[in-house]
Amino acid sequence: MACESERCMSMLEVQNLEVYYESVWGNYKAVDGASFKTHKNEVFSIAGESGCGKSTLVDGILRLIKPPGHIPSGKVIFEGTNLLKIPEDELRGIRWVKMAYVPQGAMNSLNPIIRVEEQMTDAILDHGSMSKEEARELAGSMLKEVSLPVEVARMYPHELSGGMKQRVIIATAIALKPILIIADEPTTALDVVVQKGILQLLESLKEKYGMTVIVVSHDMAAHAQIADRIAIMYAGKVMEIGSIYDVFEQPLHPYTKGLISAIPAIGKKYVKGIPGLAPSPLNWPQGCRFHPRCPHAMDICSEVEPTMKEVSPERHVACHLYQ
Amino acid sequence: MSQLLGTLKQRASAFISLFKRSPTLIVGVALLSLIIFLAIFAPIIDQYRLEGHKATDLGYFEKFLPPSLKHPLGTDHFGRDVLGLHLTGLKFSLIVGALAGSVATLISVCIAVIAGYRGGIIDSILNGVTNSVLVIPSLPILIVVAYYTRLDLVGMCLTLAAFSWPWSTRVIRAQVLTLKERTFVDLARVSGQNGFEIMFAEILPNLIPYIIVGLGFSVIGAIFAETGLRIIGLGPPTVVSLGLLLQQALQYGLLTQKRYAEVMSMILLLISIFISLNLINKGMDEAFNPRLKKVTGQ
Amino acid sequence: MSQSLVELKNVSKVFRIGGGLGLTSRRTIKAVDSVSFTIPSDKATITALVGESGSGKTTIAKIILGLIEPTSGEVLYRNRRISDWLKKNRMGYLREVQPIFQDPYSVYNPFYRIERELEKVIKKFKLASSKAEKREIMLKALKDIGLRPEDLLGRYPHQLSGGERQRFMLTRILLMKPRLIVADEPVSMIDVSLRSIFLDHLTSFEDKLGISCLYITHDLNVASYVADSILVLCHGTVVEEGPKDAVIGDPLHPYSKLLVSSIAIPDPKRRWKEKTDLTSIESFENLKVGEGCVFSARCPYAREVCKQKAPPLVQIRSERKIACFLYSNFK
Repeated sequence: MACESERCMSMLEVQNLEVYYESVWGNYKAVDGASFKTHKNEVFSIAGESGCGKSTLVDGILRLIKPPGHIPSGKVIFEGTNLLKIPEDELRGIRWVKMAYVPQGAMNSLNPIIRVEEQMTDAILDHGSMSKEEARELAGSMLKEVSLPVEVARMYPHELSGGMKQRVIIATAIALKPILIIADEPTTALDVVVQKGILQLLESLKEKYGMTVIVVSHDMAAHAQIADRIAIMYAGKVMEIGSIYDVFEQPLHPYTKGLISAIPAIGKKYVKGIPGLAPSPLNWPQGCRFHPRCPHAMDICSEVEPTMKEVSPERHVACHLYQ
Repeated sequence: MSQLLGTLKQRASAFISLFKRSPTLIVGVALLSLIIFLAIFAPIIDQYRLEGHKATDLGYFEKFLPPSLKHPLGTDHFGRDVLGLHLTGLKFSLIVGALAGSVATLISVCIAVIAGYRGGIIDSILNGVTNSVLVIPSLPILIVVAYYTRLDLVGMCLTLAAFSWPWSTRVIRAQVLTLKERTFVDLARVSGQNGFEIMFAEILPNLIPYIIVGLGFSVIGAIFAETGLRIIGLGPPTVVSLGLLLQQALQYGLLTQKRYAEVMSMILLLISIFISLNLINKGMDEAFNPRLKKVTGQ
Repeated sequence: MSQSLVELKNVSKVFRIGGGLGLTSRRTIKAVDSVSFTIPSDKATITALVGESGSGKTTIAKIILGLIEPTSGEVLYRNRRISDWLKKNRMGYLREVQPIFQDPYSVYNPFYRIERELEKVIKKFKLASSKAEKREIMLKALKDIGLRPEDLLGRYPHQLSGGERQRFMLTRILLMKPRLIVADEPVSMIDVSLRSIFLDHLTSFEDKLGISCLYITHDLNVASYVADSILVLCHGTVVEEGPKDAVIGDPLHPYSKLLVSSIAIPDPKRRWKEKTDLTSIESFENLKVGEGCVFSARCPYAREVCKQKAPPLVQIRSERKIACFLYSNFK
């Protein structure tokens, strides 16, 4: 699929990001050289199983890493600026205003004793400059955007269901019309029917506002339903990037192949798992991280780490089979 | 049950690693060990040092001797070697604390586990009992009992325990209620274990940190209570605890005689017991609670 | 008429929240509302009980396992009441009915080594007559599940991964060889790449050992992989029952239709066709309406009768049951 140059202009570019945590047992290399690029106006998925580093990756991008974690190297380029190098107050000007974040379990972090409206306006006033009245109006219109009845504003979080709370979070996140929104596991703990609603809501942000939506989740089905492009993470690194159709139809990386064939799906007869265990961030395997479990492992795989190569336009894979 | 013992042995080594996590715990345990060491060995050494007499015997040495090599803290108004006397006091205070504290903790744990696990009527009844004992004015009753009966060491400890057991019960019961809801208890039930086995083989081992802390507070509470009784002159005269020595200090007006060092020595020994136990409690908290968060990134 | 393995007859469970001695209750929750279904005993089957959170599925699991007593209704195992079994032959019942719980992180007692769970059942159910035999059957069971004994024996639960812990549960089941496994979301907390390995063991237990399974889940993708038949649970009531392909391919009950159309299929070529109307799925009137059908508040086809009477579960075609006035003759 040919790529219009305007769309292919990168929105967010992550280059070789590393996030390490120091502990008495050694260095947890939670993210160890991850790279990817998102375009304008797309839904970009970051997929991977537990322990692959995807949530830490997001924390790293947003500079939310606290000691004993630190970022030894890497670049996060957003609209031409390296977010890792700018001063804190400049970063505040970007957070929420240009780049919004819906963390994992955010709906449970709403203060139960403060009304929804107040929490929303607090967040809005923190990052945007307007009067309290304007903020309240904005909050109200945002609630409408996410199809919540106007009464919700005056209610308390505990009176709302999980899905409604999640919608409140999303409404607050998009209030200042950011161009990028990152959602970490936006549908865990939500019922099936509500999950569909939330995922479609995120998709509509792209269509209605031209936002770039980054969805981080271990749920491959969620990605399959709404993503345009997807990055597969394993053991702290990105293994494969491509359009959602390409990656699902013709996965290149053996891990991706294994992952896709491991997922039960309605009507799918043959499901095959990946033997072995995910490695530990304290001790990533030598060479390619996946080689101990890889059915196609060659000699070179246990010695040299493969680099990410663009094998066709917008199709990247880090595997010796393609180098 | 042999599984329990085998596991306990392995657990001991896991236990040692706790110390690495809390310097407070190390200091507390070291101090307590020192105190216990002194309490055990001082009387033995005293056999030789005091020419075969017990430290509490009256009148074998000259009165009011100043500190010397033979009597490092001098002698008192009864001609007793002060150092030996105070260390004997330490020993008895520890015995009272340990005995009363252990009995109280034992009662407390049994009641908390049964009440918490069984729930329902049994829980309500046991809760009622616990609250009643809490509310009973223990000091007046202790005074009455001590006054009218000839209490010996064991009797006094049991009486002290009878009033102090409710304090830890509530905390332990709360923890039992939490543990009861954990899936491993369900698994134990479908594995055919009966209530007794579940309470004492499954739930109890997970209460150990709370039991130890409860024990620490019980021991301190017992020593406090005993000292309180002493100050008003009650309690068995054969149990020469630090409390008794303090009472004698008051009775014989040691402070007006400006014999500050002697009084300070008693107080310091008493305080050191409290400090060591408190440090252990605090250290346990440090060691068991926020350990390094396991950050693997998701 | 074949004997049933498990039969629930109008089982209900009401929980009381609050109140001191249980005399003054402040709120009641009807977790399970007149549920009836049967698991046949003529051949081993895997029956999926599909429902969302709050549908009562975990409560049903606990009732069948004997951990909770129903407030009303009867639960029969091999035509005898479970309460009877538990009173007169508890070990006999437990020998035949065993669970796999959802959370591998809280199912083991953290104080003990993990093999204690195997040793416990071997001892309690007299599965071995000597120490040597005990070790032998443990090693064999571990190997049959594809686990390496040297990686697991002697370890504490926190030293193992979620996937290993859950598979260890399978080892326990293999040792006991019960007649029925009650599995409550057994794979929802383990990695995707390990799920099929786990599920394949359940199907092999069914095929090779004749062990039936009541598989409780909210995930229709998983249910479609592993189950033979499906029961759809909505707000504590069974609304549809039928063979897997029929219920998923041709759902009849409005709730089943909603569920099937909302499932995220991990295939970008099979994306949702319709947009969910968020205002309709989550409104404050979602709560069950008094006496009527449990789904009436959200049902696009709801009529007056639906709000007043609860439709009974009736058989409308061979092997297909449904509780809905759209399909029955009741007016």
